[in-house]
Amino acid sequence: MATTKDFQKTQWDTLHRNGPFPLKLLQVTELEGKANMPSSLDRYNDAAKEIQRLITEAHNNGHGFRPYGSRWSMSSIAHQKDRMHFNSHMNIDLPVQPGEVHSSSPYHHSNLFFFQCGNTIKEISKALGAHGKSLKTSGASNGQTIAGCIATGVHGSALDVGSIQDYVVGLNLIVGPKDTDIVYLERKTKPALKDSFAQKIKARVIRDDALFNAAVVGLGSFGFIHGVLIEAENRFLLKRYVRKIDKQTALKLSDTMDFKNSTFKIDGEVDQAGKPLRPYHYKVFINPYINDSQYVVEAMYKKPYRTPYPDPFTTIEKSIYRDLIYLLIKISERFPKAIPWFIKRLENAILPDVNEETTGTLYETFWDAPYQGPAFACSFGVDHKHSSKALKILTDLTKNEGPIPGIFAMRFVKKSEATLAFTKFPITCVIEIDGVLWKKSNKLMSLKEFSARMIQVLKQNNIPFTIHWGKNAAWTFPGLVDHMFGSKAKEWEQQRARLLSPEMAVLFSNKFLKDIGLSKTPPPTGGGPTPIV
Amino acid sequence: MYMTPSKASKRLPMFLAAALLFLCFSCYSVKIVGVNSVPNPDPNNDSDDGYRNQRVIVLDTIVKSGVITDGIGLKTQREGCASGELHSVEYKNTFGGSLLYLVTFGSKRKVRIKYVCAKTEN
Repeated sequence: MATTKDFQKTQWDTLHRNGPFPLKLLQVTELEGKANMPSSLDRYNDAAKEIQRLITEAHNNGHGFRPYGSRWSMSSIAHQKDRMHFNSHMNIDLPVQPGEVHSSSPYHHSNLFFFQCGNTIKEISKALGAHGKSLKTSGASNGQTIAGCIATGVHGSALDVGSIQDYVVGLNLIVGPKDTDIVYLERKTKPALKDSFAQKIKARVIRDDALFNAAVVGLGSFGFIHGVLIEAENRFLLKRYVRKIDKQTALKLSDTMDFKNSTFKIDGEVDQAGKPLRPYHYKVFINPYINDSQYVVEAMYKKPYRTPYPDPFTTIEKSIYRDLIYLLIKISERFPKAIPWFIKRLENAILPDVNEETTGTLYETFWDAPYQGPAFACSFGVDHKHSSKALKILTDLTKNEGPIPGIFAMRFVKKSEATLAFTKFPITCVIEIDGVLWKKSNKLMSLKEFSARMIQVLKQNNIPFTIHWGKNAAWTFPGLVDHMFGSKAKEWEQQRARLLSPEMAVLFSNKFLKDIGLSKTPPPTGGGPTPIV
Repeated sequence: MYMTPSKASKRLPMFLAAALLFLCFSCYSVKIVGVNSVPNPDPNNDSDDGYRNQRVIVLDTIVKSGVITDGIGLKTQREGCASGELHSVEYKNTFGGSLLYLVTFGSKRKVRIKYVCAKTEN
């Protein structure tokens, strides 16, 4: 039997110390050992029973219940004040047999893989690599669990690919304590697996596009994501270049995504007519405190997998004394004018080396990002056509009302089908501000104030935007979600009400959901979608 | 050489700074990490170092060695290392450790190793 250990805790925090937040009980489930239960399927179903037991227990105690994985989100999206469940040890992968693929499936059998919730991107990449396969994209690193990634919409900068949730094609959710509360959900228009697979995991099948699109970026509130079915692709290499290019060229590319007619050209990365190729990945780094005529950009081009290729890892890496960073922040809180100077000094440690070139798989390119101390990250999504305008507005704010100890970057992601994906524009430019957490002083505004001001200036300038669910933001800003998603927010709530009973909707809720106004469980209306529960 | 008290008090901060610098340089760590392994997670590790959220095992001991001792072998422990496989190993050299080695002519060696095992594959 899978076993769960209870830890009486009074508080919980994110990996990057964006809390702490109050907590009553931390629960950690470990699977039954292989020696006692050799079948992965049996251990998977055994774990489902254990999760249902925990749901019952939480419900009987009038508690909320929320699973989490690597606690990488910086917002409080993963937090629940009553019971939090650490699911990282739940890392089974189940094989999909050729005969289990749905007859109308658009997916090739060899690309379908089923992973339990606690598998990290690194574990999944390893498992896929053993089959000569790869994820289509990942975030900038690999430590997040797959369930956490999709619940919050983790993305990379693959401009024609999308985010992690965009290659998830099936979901196994546990939405309550009853046998019928284990469901296997996929799109009706793109079914992936036959009912026989769902029967193996003791799930009832739901094929419904609207429900799937709402649940796939479910903000941790669509029940317990027990497993995900992903569509992988053949392993590939990424040739990565870092260049310093004219600022106007970098911004024009961001606004137009017209690489073919750009002056940004890398030797060897051209078509037969000598025109620049469209990269797989494009990222721009911006230090807001210097008026540089050039920006550092990172471009990656997809190549067929072949061996040998040079080892992409540097053998020796030196790290900065963390205490030095803390000291700089303490100084900054008293003397904010020192921040630009500090950032300039640390540029070499923050930015990639110019003219760096590496070749590696997706897994090797977006590798580990070890914890390096308390950090913040704000992330706004705008239509890429508004990239340069939005960037100017946000950097001007940072310079005029800051400074704040952070640096900007822009990444670009293809539109997602998920109802509440913040990558909702045809190509979303994700403008990021990452840095070291600081404390408000009489000379330095707080992160909360800075976050609210960013929303205000984007609204004042009529730039439609979204915010990354897992990042720092003024989440209680009035009408924020309605402003970002309009009717989609209501649609998401309705779909949630179709799947979860009112009791379970409360159990799988949290303060974050209340803060953003999505914890309501409206009864599906006469003309609305049919309830499933 | 004799120094007047005022000169000595002026040089004291310099001496302390030099000593501090020496101690800092004598204290460093080297860490080797497996590029393909996944660290064993620990939700109760709220430390503020690079091991946050990881199940870290610390070996901090003084090992007596004889004249014929060539090396010291260590094995992973079962508790906290169910996989029995290593993800990372960090060796820390401290000023105290170096001093102990010197004053005991190598017969006592301070061993301070932190390791994280690989997460169990299911």
